[in-house]
Amino acid sequence: MQIVGIDTGGTFTDTVILTGDARIGVGKALTTHGRLMEGVIASLVVASRSLGKSLREILEATDILSHGTTVGLNALLTNAGAKVGLLVTSGFEATLPMARSNKVHGLPDEDSINALKWRKPDLLVPRRRIIGVRERIDVDGNIIVPLDEEQARQSIRQLVARGAEAIGIALMWSPVNGSHERRLAELVAQEAPGLHVTLSSELAPRIGEYERTATVAMNAYVAPLVGDYLTSLDEALRDEGFSGLFLIVTMGGGARRASSLCDAPVHLLQSGPVGGIMAARQIGARLGHADVLATDVGGTSFDVGLVVGGALPTASRPRIDRHSLAVPVIDLASIGTGGGSIAYADPELGVLRVGPQSAGSMPGPACYGRGGTQPTVTDAAVVLGHLDHLGGALILDRDAARSALAPLAGKLGLEVEEAAEGILRVANAQMADLVRRASVQRGHDPRNFVLYAYGGAAPQHVGRYAAEIGVKAIVIPRLAPEFSAWGAASSDMRTSYEIELPARPLQNFRDGEIEAFGRLEERARGEFEGLAEASLAGAVEVRRKIGLKFSRQLHRIDIEVPSSRLGSAEIAAAEAAFRSRYEQIVGRGSAHAKSTIELAAVVVEARMPIVMPDSAPTRMRGALQPSRQRRAWFGGREQETPVFLWAELGVGVVISGPAFIESDQTTAVIYPGQTVTTDVDGNLTMTVPAVHKLSPSPSIGEFA
Amino acid sequence: MTIGPIELEIIRHRLEAINADAGETLVRVSGSQIASEASDFNTAIMTADGTVISCSKFILVQSTSLNLIVRDILDRYGENPGIGRGDQFLTNDPYLGTLHQPDVTLVAPIFHGDRLIAWAGSTVHEPDVGGPVSGGFNYAARSIFDEAIPIPPVKIVEAGSIRRDIERDYLARTRTPELNALDLLGQIAANRASERQVLELCAAYGTDGLVHAMDRLLASTEAAFRRRLIELPDGIWRENSFIQHEQRSGADYLPNQIYAVRLAMAKTGDKLSFDFTASDDQAPGAVNSTYPTLANFTMAAVLVHICQGLPWMPGAIWRTIDIHTRKASIVNAEWPAGVAMSTGTSAQAIRNCVSGCLARLLDGSAAHAHMAMASSQSSGAGGMSISGHRLDGSPFTTLFLDELSGGGGATSNADGSDTSGTATSPGATPSNIETNEAYYPVLYLTRRELADSGGPGMRRGGVGAMHAYRPHQTGQSIALLSMAQGLQHPATMGAVGGEPGLPSGFAIMSCDVPVAASKGWPELADVTDFRLPDAATRLYPDQMLVTSSQGGGGFGDPLERDPAAVAMDVLDGLVSVGNALRDFGVVLRLDGEKVEIDHDASEAERKVRLKARLGGRDPRTIEGPVSGRRLSSHFRAVAVSGGEQVVCAVCGHGICDAGAGIYASLAVHEAVAGERSAITDRYAGSERFRIRHFYCPGCARQVDVQVARAGDPVLEAIELPVPRIPTEARP
Repeated sequence: MQIVGIDTGGTFTDTVILTGDARIGVGKALTTHGRLMEGVIASLVVASRSLGKSLREILEATDILSHGTTVGLNALLTNAGAKVGLLVTSGFEATLPMARSNKVHGLPDEDSINALKWRKPDLLVPRRRIIGVRERIDVDGNIIVPLDEEQARQSIRQLVARGAEAIGIALMWSPVNGSHERRLAELVAQEAPGLHVTLSSELAPRIGEYERTATVAMNAYVAPLVGDYLTSLDEALRDEGFSGLFLIVTMGGGARRASSLCDAPVHLLQSGPVGGIMAARQIGARLGHADVLATDVGGTSFDVGLVVGGALPTASRPRIDRHSLAVPVIDLASIGTGGGSIAYADPELGVLRVGPQSAGSMPGPACYGRGGTQPTVTDAAVVLGHLDHLGGALILDRDAARSALAPLAGKLGLEVEEAAEGILRVANAQMADLVRRASVQRGHDPRNFVLYAYGGAAPQHVGRYAAEIGVKAIVIPRLAPEFSAWGAASSDMRTSYEIELPARPLQNFRDGEIEAFGRLEERARGEFEGLAEASLAGAVEVRRKIGLKFSRQLHRIDIEVPSSRLGSAEIAAAEAAFRSRYEQIVGRGSAHAKSTIELAAVVVEARMPIVMPDSAPTRMRGALQPSRQRRAWFGGREQETPVFLWAELGVGVVISGPAFIESDQTTAVIYPGQTVTTDVDGNLTMTVPAVHKLSPSPSIGEFA
Repeated sequence: MTIGPIELEIIRHRLEAINADAGETLVRVSGSQIASEASDFNTAIMTADGTVISCSKFILVQSTSLNLIVRDILDRYGENPGIGRGDQFLTNDPYLGTLHQPDVTLVAPIFHGDRLIAWAGSTVHEPDVGGPVSGGFNYAARSIFDEAIPIPPVKIVEAGSIRRDIERDYLARTRTPELNALDLLGQIAANRASERQVLELCAAYGTDGLVHAMDRLLASTEAAFRRRLIELPDGIWRENSFIQHEQRSGADYLPNQIYAVRLAMAKTGDKLSFDFTASDDQAPGAVNSTYPTLANFTMAAVLVHICQGLPWMPGAIWRTIDIHTRKASIVNAEWPAGVAMSTGTSAQAIRNCVSGCLARLLDGSAAHAHMAMASSQSSGAGGMSISGHRLDGSPFTTLFLDELSGGGGATSNADGSDTSGTATSPGATPSNIETNEAYYPVLYLTRRELADSGGPGMRRGGVGAMHAYRPHQTGQSIALLSMAQGLQHPATMGAVGGEPGLPSGFAIMSCDVPVAASKGWPELADVTDFRLPDAATRLYPDQMLVTSSQGGGGFGDPLERDPAAVAMDVLDGLVSVGNALRDFGVVLRLDGEKVEIDHDASEAERKVRLKARLGGRDPRTIEGPVSGRRLSSHFRAVAVSGGEQVVCAVCGHGICDAGAGIYASLAVHEAVAGERSAITDRYAGSERFRIRHFYCPGCARQVDVQVARAGDPVLEAIELPVPRIPTEARP
């Protein structure tokens, strides 16, 4: 079996090829914004070449090609989406523009305290292309006002006349009764055949009309562009000989067939970072780490995700670029701190601040020599000698970096190296704060986690930001710079369908058939059709879950159940599992014995594990020798520091800081006092001394 | 450890992160609808003496004055019952520090060893905290003894354990013990999360280091704010705002009373002083504000309106501000006056006064005028406590926050944000309709943007919203306690000559009126009686309730709005064709898919309007920029022999001598309170109010709009400082 993973990131498109004979090919190419496919193909060509093969040779032998892409997000961020027409329940036309009055949620911190910057999320559908159709369904699914088909037809024609290229349908209470939405879709097919149609009851059957409507609008907005992209990429790959399975990484975790996502492109909006978290889970499973803090440092952002007990938690209120979504999204926290973040002296507080402005990749940091003059995080690292090249080709200009930092150092009354050190400390403290927030806010103690650091710049920073958090261990995976691509390659095929219901006591469902299970299961299995014939399938595992919550609470926890008919014993078991999971999340003693447990959702997950080819173990080498020495600053003084080549390290070597471990794509910085060891897969495991001792505090939220 | 510019930034960022964590922890643990979905809560971190150094941004007014509660605990409880490690104190006492009784605050001291170094705290709005009326808002209250009796600070967590006796006492009084218990757990967990992380900071930087850093942050924020004040002109600015309350209780019956909040704000050098002493006496009802409420709303408005680009550190700002007030007045109630409805009534009037004065202050500085913002919605009619019984006989009571959908105020560069809620509760969000329908026996007929509700101006105020619902699947009526204000007059003032937003609306009508298909109040005005909401208001199964929230205030003269922007609003359905003409003097035609502006007709129309403003006299032609000292967008002071003269900034028309009343010298047109509204005149009592439009007597530009009681003297909203005459110092 040969698997290819490709990830399109903000700056680079990465490819990882896992061959059937245990070899790994890696390729990197610049992301070609506006023509993403070119970057994908270029990166594939580079990776093929790294194995001494042509693109056609690789593609002909590839069984699965799995892709993480930002094509949907780019459409959103560049306002390049479709002209959407939205059909909603009459009287509720303003659901999307009102956005539940949200003028601050999802804004960057600095904008949230500036009333002049408060604003609603961008309106993806202008008001004149939102039309109310006469119909109304109530909480129990009763039809209060029947669908006025004549008026609906007129509305559809009106939307088309106003330029609609894709139609979204989001009616009140459609998760409970989707008949009006389905009928409307039929009417659209008659009145405007060929237009892409999104139904809220199928795409995002969650209760809460605003988030559901926003999801439909988003889906319709990105659908034509994403559809075109997936179709043309598929064709291009097949032209080059590819005949395998084409998968796309989804925000909900796992990969789905590209063909099934053309109708539901919202699921791939932010698939890149999810690839990284899935890779962290994979490697965590291999190394015995069930609880992982997955951290990704890129040029313009820092992302943190969690693996808890081997599972990837989903966000309770997911937002992408401030747009609320009502679909499962892997929980991910993000800030705009990266190598390009610009440092400055805050004139009001007299402190050294870093970001959120970024030099981006063009002109980029001053040390790139492309005309940047503002001091950035990468410039600080270059001034200190921690970094002298990037991505194999780019040699960094230390003098330019010094010149960029000098005025800032002057303002703060510091030496240039002190200012550089300060910039790295502030930037890393921000990252550490985000790691803490990602764990503490979700009720976890970071000290029980192993931290994984990946993305091009993480190996350079992790020794600082992870050190002060006090995690159990730190792992820098061998493929850290291409981790998201590797994650795409290594993810299972997975799909999940859910439907939310108005919460009713679980006991009411005893001994009755929960009908939604059948429908959802059929849809989920449909995605795996034809795979057995293609001899790709392991068995498809199907799990049934019920979403439970305490009465009047908003947390939903999904609990697996054996069948779609629940007897007393199954209900008792589900309730016990719910209470236990609830206390795990919220705190011991928090699950009230007396509170009613309600059923609020029905979920079906289907998964087909993909067996990865083994990779060849790292071979033992000769004696451990640095390839060279570099002068670099640590702890306030400059010293000769050994530089090791990552590719030449054997298994089980121990390197003590200060030291650098370099590959073409990245530099790991080992600070004084820290040590790293290598394992059989070539991963680095870092040990850091405790920065400060703190008496063990009680776990979060003990209420007894 | 020494604290330099690097450590200080790291600690600052960390404190913000810790406080944000506390908020998320609260939501996660509580999970209750008001905390999780409406975000009606706030968290804060304080120094050892209670100075608020970090507060979250959801409901600013809930936490900017937590210092008063901490101060009370420090003053009274040091010995008995003692303040120790792991303790947490609960209170909902508006006379000590909360806004009103439904806001329950929990504060926790943070000790490093034996040393008290900080406090953590949070406030959550509870659906019920007891008292005679479900939901806590008692129209008929004659004093606080007819409301939920406040709980002074009690030690509900002692040395890390919940005091079960105190917890029971707290939960025994409420009609919603399960929800209150959830929020209580959330608040306890939030304080603990803050405590643990603050102690980690101590371990990293030393206790002295942390305390020193917090002091430095406060001092530098204070200094930054003082620098901003120095950059702004000195002067005195005034604003009045009105609320209504009807006392309906036997012998105490007081019909439809008006209470005025009157503010004179003085800025001198690096000090800002708020004088509320001219406000009316306290009411014999539930609408009074206590001093903490006054302080909170004042501080929150200061943060929002003049702290753009500065850290929001209420404790630092507090040091630069004086509040003058009069005991037993509507803004500084004296025990045992009723106060439970303060947040939707007098407190909104306080905020309107403060934001109005701050807009005038900012507009006086060319460098800061872009920060001046008109007022955002005051309390709309959709904010109410509702209660009743479901079909199965089970009782319910809850708070509907549909009112958090009014318009935002416009600025010189941007229209106000449509349906964006109030400025001092930036994070508050109304629930989804499906959430309300899932839990309560109601069926909504509409939630929509209300056309023509934004205050007209060169920049338009944000539009408000209209909601309608009826009882559904219950045979019984639903009791409604609306906090509606601003029904009888506009309450959302414009800035720099912009018009106020449309007043609120509240009406009960037959449920077969086609509200969803209507164009708003103009089409509904004839079908129903309009009655002010009161304690006896009920919604019967064949009726529906229709409410609307206010639009935001506009900015600048509406006749100066770009006709293309008006056309865009018409296309979006936010302004009607008729009101494009009435409010903006723009003649246009909506032709199916397109709007066509008749530019010549619009220009002619605007000329006619200007002339009418001057009683038929032709306005003066504009002669180019007028020099002189800036007093506002509209006025300059120029030197003349014997002193200074105030002139129009556009046409140079001499208005008055500096020191004389500017407003008394302007052209004025007094209109009825329902000038732009189809329904305002229908509410009894609206005849007592007037809208006053002030124009430059030279060029007829609209320079201000005020709401006043009929017969009140003209409010001199801008008063110049007496020019300082240099005097020779004695040797």
